[in-house]
Amino acid sequence: MRLFKNLKHDWPFQIGLLFFGIITFYPLILVLITSVKTNTQFYQQFWLPTLPFHLSNYVVAFERVYRFILNSLFYSGTVIVGVAVLSSICGFVFARYQFPAKRFLFLLFISLIMVPGVLTLAPKFILIRDLKMLNQPLGLIIPWLSAGLVLSTWLMRSYFESLSQDLFDAAYIDGASDPQIFLWLAIPLARPMLATVAITSLIATWNDLIWPLVTISDRKWMPLAQGLVQFSSSFETDWGPLFAGYVIASVPLLIIFVFAMKQFISGLTSGAVKA
Amino acid sequence: MLKQSGHAKELGSRPRKANFIVQVLQNRYIYLALAPGLALLLLFEWYPAISAFYNSFFLWNGGKLHSFVGWENYRYLMQDRAFIASLRNLTIFLVFRIIFQTLFPFLAAELIVNLKSERWTNWWKVIFVFPMVVPNILMYLIWRFIYNPQVGVLNKTLELFGLGDLGRAWLSDPVTALWALSFVRFPWLPTLQFLIILGGLQAISKEVIESAKLDGANWFARIRFIDLPMVRGQLILSMLLTAIFLTQRFDLFLVLTDGGPGYSTMVPALHLYQSAFNFLEFGYASAIGVIMFIIMLALTVLNLRLRKGDL
Repeated sequence: MRLFKNLKHDWPFQIGLLFFGIITFYPLILVLITSVKTNTQFYQQFWLPTLPFHLSNYVVAFERVYRFILNSLFYSGTVIVGVAVLSSICGFVFARYQFPAKRFLFLLFISLIMVPGVLTLAPKFILIRDLKMLNQPLGLIIPWLSAGLVLSTWLMRSYFESLSQDLFDAAYIDGASDPQIFLWLAIPLARPMLATVAITSLIATWNDLIWPLVTISDRKWMPLAQGLVQFSSSFETDWGPLFAGYVIASVPLLIIFVFAMKQFISGLTSGAVKA
Repeated sequence: MLKQSGHAKELGSRPRKANFIVQVLQNRYIYLALAPGLALLLLFEWYPAISAFYNSFFLWNGGKLHSFVGWENYRYLMQDRAFIASLRNLTIFLVFRIIFQTLFPFLAAELIVNLKSERWTNWWKVIFVFPMVVPNILMYLIWRFIYNPQVGVLNKTLELFGLGDLGRAWLSDPVTALWALSFVRFPWLPTLQFLIILGGLQAISKEVIESAKLDGANWFARIRFIDLPMVRGQLILSMLLTAIFLTQRFDLFLVLTDGGPGYSTMVPALHLYQSAFNFLEFGYASAIGVIMFIIMLALTVLNLRLRKGDL
């Protein structure tokens, strides 16, 4: 087994890492174990799994959280598409054209990186209220879209700037128009960066609790993070179904993580730019 | 300096005043392309940001009551017990979190770069990035369970070791509440900071390390004299990012303690939230936002300078 080849040298380090791994994952494993227990089993045996497994907890929990998951998938999906489209257009324009007031317009985009979310929280709420978007999906989607646009436009611009001019010249010589070049040359080239932008928006919207808490009060429209807080207070001491719900809530990102690990990692790292 | 084609090639390198309108018209499709994004940012980012500064000089309940009070909101902030407590709490919380959110990623990254097995290097990286998939709020709720006075993991563990008497209601005891919050996710390796530091350590050239080994340097000497100086930049960046993130996030505080008991776990961002949405003091909340903006601006500028390598 290649996995064990270097163990002779590596074992002290492996033990250290194992220690970190266990403390990091233990709470998650405990949640997994508890999610198939009844309350009686939970109070009798706290630490270890007990038989029989009560998978019915998952049925109970699923009915309570699936709506939130669907909502979140819809919100994040819409925001991702919106951010990807707008940021690639704006990024492309800023990277590859000269036009009057370019510097000023770019500054309008980029200086927002300095503006923290807490500063705009209250005024944004007032704005959304006055636009009659409270308690509506649009009241979540549009502010998330505009907030995501700042960093992603910056990322897309840097990416398009790094592409070689020869590519574009060749396309012009072949008679391609500007929109054609954007759609058929720039966008396919930018796929890795688009994936990064998508993951960044996904993580940001998926984890945001505060903005939904402020704007959404109707259960029917709650995204996952907010729904979970609701859900956890309604199952206060019913530990099995509660934890089953927690497990279900982690599945969507888990699936995406398995298929797009690399983009996950690069999406995260690029988040470092946004302070 | 022109590197693009199309209409742009017809422009001079510097637009002359007289031609300005002509040039704007020539480039109308460019402005049209930027318009949707720009409109969104102006309405949903710029307008609220400017509004926050403007309204910080008003007494405002979010509705009809809107009267100019000058610096009154800021003056009141200086003697607001909740705000003063929140600054103190944030400082303690930040110092503690910055240490542990940098130290543990560094330790884990040290262990990983010392592995000979490349496979395991990659596997451990994936394993420690994995907790990302659990929504943040879920981790907080799980930790609320860990601190549960009756059936929480912490009290149960203490019982297991015969220390049941030490158990308490960690989150509702004013002595322990802030510490309980500081320890949430302990000893978590925050993904971003972990990746930054690991990247830094992996970039140190093998030859430097080999020659140190030949000179008889043990592991601790290598950490002290090679690794720490080499990843100094990454460590500072990781600390600053932690500070910037944690200053503006307050969902942890909101969900676990809501600032209580008393003001023992109040932080500025939560105070802002409560002022606006519990007490409808939107002017006052804006003033808190402005103060926080100034603090974070300082941190951000520091961060940007660091990235340029000025530090």
